[in-house]
Amino acid sequence: MGLTTRPDTTAITLDAGGTGNEGWITTRLDFLVNWGRANSLWPMPFGTACCAIEFMASAASKFDLARFGMERMSFSPRQSDVLICAGRVPFKLAPVIRRIWQQMPQPKWAISMGACASSGGMFDSYAVVQGIDTIIPVDVYVPGCPPRPEGLIYGIMMLQKKIMKERMSNTSLRDEMAPDPTSQLYIPATRIDELSEPFGNSVHQTRSAP
Amino acid sequence: MSAFHTVYPATAPGDATPATQRNVPNRGGTANPSAAALAAQFPNAVRGHEVVNGETTVFIDAAAVADMVRWLHDAPDHRYEYLSDVTAVEYRDFEREIEVVWHLRSIRLRRFLRLKARLAKGAPLSVPSVWSVYKGADWLERECYDMFGITFEGHPDLRRILMWEGYKEGFPLRKDFPMRGRFSRSEQLKNALAANPEARYSMEELTVADAFAELPEDMKRRLAGGEKTGE
Repeated sequence: MGLTTRPDTTAITLDAGGTGNEGWITTRLDFLVNWGRANSLWPMPFGTACCAIEFMASAASKFDLARFGMERMSFSPRQSDVLICAGRVPFKLAPVIRRIWQQMPQPKWAISMGACASSGGMFDSYAVVQGIDTIIPVDVYVPGCPPRPEGLIYGIMMLQKKIMKERMSNTSLRDEMAPDPTSQLYIPATRIDELSEPFGNSVHQTRSAP
Repeated sequence: MSAFHTVYPATAPGDATPATQRNVPNRGGTANPSAAALAAQFPNAVRGHEVVNGETTVFIDAAAVADMVRWLHDAPDHRYEYLSDVTAVEYRDFEREIEVVWHLRSIRLRRFLRLKARLAKGAPLSVPSVWSVYKGADWLERECYDMFGITFEGHPDLRRILMWEGYKEGFPLRKDFPMRGRFSRSEQLKNALAANPEARYSMEELTVADAFAELPEDMKRRLAGGEKTGE
C-alpha cells in the first residue's frame, strides 16, 4: 500500500528463530527484554460497550488477566502499553481515541476487541467508525460479538508472541505505522470508501456528497 | 367524578389508592381531566384530544405550547411538575407534518398528559421553548434540535448535544437522512478527526459562565486571559 512501515510476514518469520547473523548475547538480551515486555503489558482499557463487560470478566478472578502480567489496569494512557478498544467507537470519540493513542509512550500496541471496534459490526450507521484501524494502528483483532474472555486472552497471547519476535537487529517490527500525511488515516481514503460501500443494509440509499 | 376514579384514582395528595389501570381499552376510554380543562382554558389553541391505551394526547397549536405548559404546571388542579420528554415524530408519509411531542407528568395527581403539535414541512420548524417552565427541558430540546432540526424559540443555549459541534451532515433522525450519513466514510472520518474536543468542551463553556465570581483567583485570571481548558 506504500503507507505502512510495518514488515510483512516474511520479515517476521525470518527473525523468528533468532538464528541469522545475530550473536548469542544479542539474542539472549532480546529474549530477556521481550520476555519482560510481553509479560508485563499494562492495558489501557477503552471500553465503550458490551465488549467492556467481557473485558471486565477477563480481568476478574475467574479468567484473571493478572496471569499474563496485566495486573494493573492503567487508566492513564501515559502509563500503559496496550490499548484495548472494547466496543464501538462513534465518530465523536474518534479524536479522543486518537489522542489517547498519541499520549501512550512507545513501545505500545493496540488490540481491537470485538466486531464493532474491528469493523463497525452491525452499526453500519452515520455515527459509528467502521473499524478503529482507520484511526489508530491495530496489532490484534479479536473477533466476536462480544468475544468471550477466552477469545480476548487468545488475542493477548498472540500479541505476546508478536512481542517475543522483536529483535534489536531489525527494528521494523517496532516502528509505528505512520498515518497517511494528508488524510491522517491509517488506511487510504479511497480504500476506506471502497471497503465500506457494498456492505450493510443501506446499500440503496443515496448520498448527496461524494 | 366516579368515572374519573376508575382511571385516575388519586384525587388528593396522600391518597393511597393503587394507580395501576386495569382493563384499559385500546381506543377511547376515560380521558385525563386535564384535557378538557386545557380545552376550556385555551379554546383557540386546542385541536382536540384522543385516548389510546388509557393515555391522553392533546393536539395543540405549536405557538401556544409555552403558555399551556405554564398553566398546566401552575394550575392547582393539575400541577404537572415533571416534564418527562420532549421529542418529535416524522412519519414515512412525506406529506404528513412533523409532530413535536411533550410528555408531562403530575406526580402529585398521578396524571400523564401528552401534548402534540404539528409542524408543516414547508415552513421553518420552530416551536416555543418550555425551558422557562421546566429547566429540565434544556437537554431534551437540544437533543430534539440535534436529531430533527426543530428550533426551540427562547431556549438559552440551543446547540447540538449528541453529534459534535460543526457536524455538517444534517439531522440524523429525519426521514430524508441516509442511514450511513451524507458523506463518504473517509470524509466522515476526516471531519471527525478534525474536531478538537478540548477546544469545544472547555471549562469556561461548561461550568463557569454562571459561577465565575466564585472561582479561585488564579483560575479567574487564566480564564480571563482566554485560556480554554482551565487546566
